[in-house]
Amino acid sequence: MHKIEVDAEIDLLEENRRLAEENRKILKEKGIVTINIMGAIGSGKTLLIERTVQSLKDFKIGAILGDVIAKDDYKRIAKYGVKAVPLNTGKECHLDAHLVHHALEDFELDGLDVLFIENVGNLICPVDFDLGEDYRVVMVSVTEGDDVVAKHPEIFRLADVIIINKIALADAVEADVDKMFKDAKRLNPNAKIIRMDLKRGIGFDEWMEWLKCVLQSRGRS
Amino acid sequence: MSFAQVLLENVVRVAKEHNAKRVKYIQISIGNMLMLNPEQLKFCFDVIAKGTVAENAELEVEVVKAKIRCMMCGKDFEEFVGICDECGGIVTVEGGKDMILKKVEMEV
Repeated sequence: MHKIEVDAEIDLLEENRRLAEENRKILKEKGIVTINIMGAIGSGKTLLIERTVQSLKDFKIGAILGDVIAKDDYKRIAKYGVKAVPLNTGKECHLDAHLVHHALEDFELDGLDVLFIENVGNLICPVDFDLGEDYRVVMVSVTEGDDVVAKHPEIFRLADVIIINKIALADAVEADVDKMFKDAKRLNPNAKIIRMDLKRGIGFDEWMEWLKCVLQSRGRS
Repeated sequence: MSFAQVLLENVVRVAKEHNAKRVKYIQISIGNMLMLNPEQLKFCFDVIAKGTVAENAELEVEVVKAKIRCMMCGKDFEEFVGICDECGGIVTVEGGKDMILKKVEMEV
């Protein structure tokens, strides 16, 4: 028996990157706008997809609903008659490109305009797993505490849209919405930042305006 | 845990390629913007490596810092800040997102 030493120099995250690029290529070829929605548990991700599906009646929408266990989110979206696929991750706290790759096999991608991917409720783990999306949306609510943005810089730094939800509850939970907005702006001056209260219809128009703009730019209007 | 998993898969593959009986030592580098705790990573790795060729291997983790710099005045930062406190310029991040398997020592 003898010892050997190998200089491996293997990029361990290459596999996810490769699969994400593959997903991106497949989706781009079909002209589908793909949006990865991230955010904490209970921040309003599923409701945002529900409301969006209801108001984008002229578009063909698909949704992948990531959850550790259970299919509740999937049921909430599937009832609107859009193609939805539940994606249970088990103990994993985020989706990865490989899981999404398999989920895409369940879709009839021809003719699809938009694909929403709802990530697992978590502000940390999904950050470093590119799924092959075009845009990243991060959703937080004032009930998570007004320091939630400052405490999770990486996910906000890499977002295209930042939504601060449940602002009507800000006084009740003593959260400073302006602080959250400023923190988001400081971490990511280029992101679209929206103050929202989905249940009261606040800020939803601004979100739809952004989404329609994106769809138009991709020739889907 | 997924980072430990992908590390183990690659170490086992390297060991197999060299017909190794045992992996003694592993060296990796991780970018600080991945925000992984090296001790947690080592713990996860030890747990999942049980029963594999890499069981009880020593894992050394080197943390590589990202270059965080203001685009306007060139000031360097230790942590990501978003906007420069000196000049108000936009601060960019370069690197700090890699995870590289550098070295594997094995008994063959």
